[in-house]
Amino acid sequence: MTFGKDRVISNFVNDKKMAMRILLVLLLAGILASCGSGKKPDEQAFLNTLDSAKNQGATIDEAVISSILQQIPSPLEISVLLKESGTKYNSSILNTPDNLPKYNNNYKKALNLGIYGTDLGYTNIYEQNQDGIKYLTSIKSLADGLNIGQFFDIETIGRLATNSKNLDSLLLITTQNFNDINSYLQAQSRANLSVLLLTGGWIEAMQITCQVASKNPQNKELQEKVGEQKIILENIMLLLSFYKDTDENMASLLKDLEELKSAYDKINIVYTYKESTMEIVNGVAEIKDNSTTTIQITEQDVNNIKTITESIRTKITS
Amino acid sequence: MKKIILSVSLMMIVGISSSELIGQCNSDNLSNACIPKLSGGFNFLKSYKIDGENGGKDKVEYSYVFTKGTQYMINICAEGQATDGIVVTLFDSGRNKVATSKINGQFISAIAYPCNATGIYYIQYTFDGSASHCGGSALGFKR
Repeated sequence: MTFGKDRVISNFVNDKKMAMRILLVLLLAGILASCGSGKKPDEQAFLNTLDSAKNQGATIDEAVISSILQQIPSPLEISVLLKESGTKYNSSILNTPDNLPKYNNNYKKALNLGIYGTDLGYTNIYEQNQDGIKYLTSIKSLADGLNIGQFFDIETIGRLATNSKNLDSLLLITTQNFNDINSYLQAQSRANLSVLLLTGGWIEAMQITCQVASKNPQNKELQEKVGEQKIILENIMLLLSFYKDTDENMASLLKDLEELKSAYDKINIVYTYKESTMEIVNGVAEIKDNSTTTIQITEQDVNNIKTITESIRTKITS
Repeated sequence: MKKIILSVSLMMIVGISSSELIGQCNSDNLSNACIPKLSGGFNFLKSYKIDGENGGKDKVEYSYVFTKGTQYMINICAEGQATDGIVVTLFDSGRNKVATSKINGQFISAIAYPCNATGIYYIQYTFDGSASHCGGSALGFKR
């Protein structure tokens, strides 16, 4: 009887323990499910391995940074312009992939990831697949170093790069990869790396444009293209200014860009608004833009900007 | 005790499921679906999520520097074929209206904008009788 009573008590206690365990498991499952956006191991590794580029600016408004970052145009636009204006492919104006071992901190890795990204876009537009693959390898290595290598499926991209018929897919996938990286970095509160990546990409596009424009002074469109970068420069300087008190590398880069800005102060962009007109053609609203911008820039201005840009780029790539 | 466990389990399942179903806008999928819908010759630049949070937001806005001499295309995707009342309007840096996808009461799914003036432009999505307040969009360019 005692034994029976003990067994009843024991069963009750065991049932209760079991019930509590099940309840605990369910509660834990619930908590985990409600935290579906929890960090993946690779994300955590990324957070742990940040060094000098670590963002310490707790007061930085990341929404503001994100809204400015998204404005920066793709360097691909410049490459398309160069190709369509009849400019020949010139690998010597790019940053050689062999410079990769020089980039051994996150600041340099992020900047040169942007630079190589622009170079990859340039080689892709000109369908220089062999060069493209070399850049891709360097890009993958830098991205791995920043723990964002998972965004580059090098096998797929490499396969696309071997056939010029895949150009559209290749451009699409590489553009998406870089967009995804920027979104990821911003979501991880590491927008400082995103700023560096985009700054590097822009400086390389600037350098390429200046090189070509200075060799073709008769090409007014290229001169204007250099001049209109004033708008982007102002945005990039604004982005870097958010980090100048917390990151000495970014503060130094900002200082270098101030010299470039002083060259750009001579350039005027005159905008005239005039209402546009629209018509529907084959289900698409086609706009006729009646507004204009006039960019006042001289050959001397282009050469001056080229010299300063080269100096900044050399600091980054060497 | 079993009843308590059953009740808690049911409550959690219902809670989790409903939080996923109610107000869920899969703007990521819709913006990705928009990319291949860019007309031929346009190179993909950006995809934009349009999440009006079930009517909680009356507009979703992005910005981009458009450059003179380049033609841009912005399209809209929503559940189904139509735009579900989503309208894209383009403003210049001075907030002057440059283009819209609602013309004479008609909702157009794409606008082509040959830019003649370099500057920052605001790409604003609004909801005009939208049922889902949810969509996606892609931006492309060509020379």
